Amino acid sequence: MTVAVVENWVEDPLRRFVGDARVRLALLLHPSGQVLGQSGFTRAIDVMSACALAAAIFASAGELGNQLDGRPFHVLHHAGKERQIFIAPARTPRGLYIFLTVFDRESSLGLVQLYFAEFEQRLASAAPPIEPPQVVLAENFERDLNHNLAALFGRA
Amino acid sequence: MSATPFSDVLAALTRQRGVLGSMVVSEADGIIVDSNLQIGVKGNVVAALAASLYRKARLSAGAAGLGTANFVQLEAERGRVCAIGRGDLLLVTVAESRANVGLIRVEMLRATQVLEQ
Amino acid sequence: MSDEIRRLSDELAREPASLVFLPLGEALRRQGQTDFALKVALRGLERHPHNADAHDLLARIAVDRGELERAFDEWDMVLRFAPRHAGARKGMGFVLFRQGKLEEAERYLAEAMEADGGDQSTIAALAHVRRALGRPISEMPPAPERPSDAGRPALPPLPEMPLQPRASGETRISGAHHRGSGEVRSSGEILRPAPSGGGLPEPPWLSQTLRNSAPPPAAPVPDVDPREREALARNPRALFADLIGDADQTALLLDAEGFVLAGAYVAGDGRDVAQEVGAELSGVSDEAQRAMRHLDLGDWQQIVVETEVATIALAPGPRAGLLLVAADGAMPLGMVRRFLDRAAARARSFVEGIA
Repeated sequence: MTVAVVENWVEDPLRRFVGDARVRLALLLHPSGQVLGQSGFTRAIDVMSACALAAAIFASAGELGNQLDGRPFHVLHHAGKERQIFIAPARTPRGLYIFLTVFDRESSLGLVQLYFAEFEQRLASAAPPIEPPQVVLAENFERDLNHNLAALFGRA
Repeated sequence: MSATPFSDVLAALTRQRGVLGSMVVSEADGIIVDSNLQIGVKGNVVAALAASLYRKARLSAGAAGLGTANFVQLEAERGRVCAIGRGDLLLVTVAESRANVGLIRVEMLRATQVLEQ
Repeated sequence: MSDEIRRLSDELAREPASLVFLPLGEALRRQGQTDFALKVALRGLERHPHNADAHDLLARIAVDRGELERAFDEWDMVLRFAPRHAGARKGMGFVLFRQGKLEEAERYLAEAMEADGGDQSTIAALAHVRRALGRPISEMPPAPERPSDAGRPALPPLPEMPLQPRASGETRISGAHHRGSGEVRSSGEILRPAPSGGGLPEPPWLSQTLRNSAPPPAAPVPDVDPREREALARNPRALFADLIGDADQTALLLDAEGFVLAGAYVAGDGRDVAQEVGAELSGVSDEAQRAMRHLDLGDWQQIVVETEVATIALAPGPRAGLLLVAADGAMPLGMVRRFLDRAAARARSFVEGIA
C-alpha cells in the first residue's frame, strides 16, 4: 500500500503502522484539516473530504465530552457492518495531530489500538524540533510591510 | 473491579503451574472482556494478538477444508499462548515454557462451558 | 471410437479413481489421439501421482507430441518410483539418441538391458547405438526385423552424427550380425564414414520400441533404504512419503513466499490441493511472526491448530520457509508433534541438498 506524505518525517511511522495493523485507510492531519500524510486513498478529493470531516468530528466530539464529562472525548471508534473507523489524537513536540484509520476484518480494534500507541511514539520521536520564531528586525519589518502593502494595494 | 461470570474460571486457570495469566477476549475486537494476569503481562497486547492469530487460524483451516478450529496453541522460545474459542469469545492463556500444556489444555476445554453460557 | 476405448471410457467414468486410465490412455495414444490421451493421463496422475506406469504413459505421449524433454523428465520420475523400470531407461536412451548424446544413450540402454535382458527392442537399440559409437557388439544377439510402422507419420531424420573414426580414418566393426538400415554385411567389414551432409538413418524399430511396446509390469515398490531415501529426497512430491506411511496424515514444505517446495496434499476427490492448502495456512505463520514482535516470548517454534476433524501443526522451515503437517483428528497430539519433528529434519536435509 502506498504512503504519501507532505512532510517526510511522517512517512516511516505511518508506513509501519499501516503494515503492522493491516488497515485499509490511514490519515494524519492537522486539527485545522490540513493533511500531513495518507495511505490507501485513491483520490485527492477523498483525502480533502476525509480531513475536513475528521477535523470536524474531532472538534465536535471534544466539545461534547467537555459538556458531558468536563473533559473532551478523544478516542472515537465506530464499528460498521464491514468496516470500522478509529479516530484518535497523536501528540508530538510539534503539537497535536489527528489520526484517522479505517479497517476491516483483516485487523481488529485491539490491534489498531496496539499499533496506534506505537505509531504515536514513533511520530513523536521522528518529529523535528519546531523552528524558533525569527527575530523581527526593524529594517526587515519595514521592508516586509512595504511589500505587503504594495501587494495589497496593487503597487507591487 | 466487580466479579464477572468468568472470574472464577480465570482464577483457576492462572493458578496452574507456569501460567502467567488468562483472559476472556472478544475474538472480533481483540479487546479484553475479563482477565486474571500476573504483574508484567501485557494483557492488551496478548489479547489483541492472540485473537488475531486465532481468527486467522480459524479462517485458514476452514478455507483449507480442514474443519473449524477450536484450539490454537502457539509455542515460542520463552513461553506459549493457548486460545480456545466459543462463539464470539476466546479463552486465552499465557504460560511459561515449563508449563504442562496438556493439563492447561484440558482445563481450558473444561472452562469453555462458561463461555457458552 | 473403437469398442475397446468406449469400454475403457465407460469403466473410467464409473470408477474415476481406478487405474483403468492407463490402458485407456495407451489405447488413445495408439490411435493417434494424443490430446485425449494426454488429458486422460494427466487426470489419472492427479489421483495417482506416485504411479510409475502413469508417468511412463505420459512420457510416451510426450514423445508422440514431439516433447522429448518432457518425456525425459517423466521417465526420470518413473525411475524415482520404480528404479528398475526398464521401459523408462529405454525411453531415456531413445531421447538421448535423438539428441545426439550417444554415450549417455548407450548407458541408459545398457541399464535397460540389465533390467530386462529379454527385450529384443532394447537389444536392437543398444546395438545400433554401439555401432554408431564404433564399439564392439559381438556379444549381442541379433536384432529382429520389424515391420515398418505403416500409417504413422514418419519421424524427422536425425541430425548428422559422424562415426567415431580410428586413427586410420576408418572404422572397424567386428562380429556384427545385425541387419537394419545401418547394414553391415559381415564381420570385420570396414565401415566408411558417412559422406558429409548425410546422417545416420534412424532405424524404424528404435522409435517403435516406444510406440508399440506395452508398459512393463509395475515393479514392486522397494522398502525404503538409505539410498532410496536419498532418491526420494530428490523427488519433491514424495519427500515425506516414507514418514507418512499408511497413516492418514500429510506434510508440506513451503518456501518463504508460501509456494510448495515439497510434499503433496491429496484431497478426498484425488486432487492435489497442496498449493491451495499451503497458501491458506501460511498466513497463520505470518500472523505468528507479527505477534512475536510484541509478545516478548522469543521466536515462535510451533503452532498447533485443532479442528473437529484434523490436527494441523506448523513449524518454521529452512530458509524462512514453513513446514506444515496435517493429521486425522484421532491421532494423538504427541504423535502429530513427533511427525512434525521428523518431517522438519527431512525438510532440512532436502533444502540443504538443493542449495
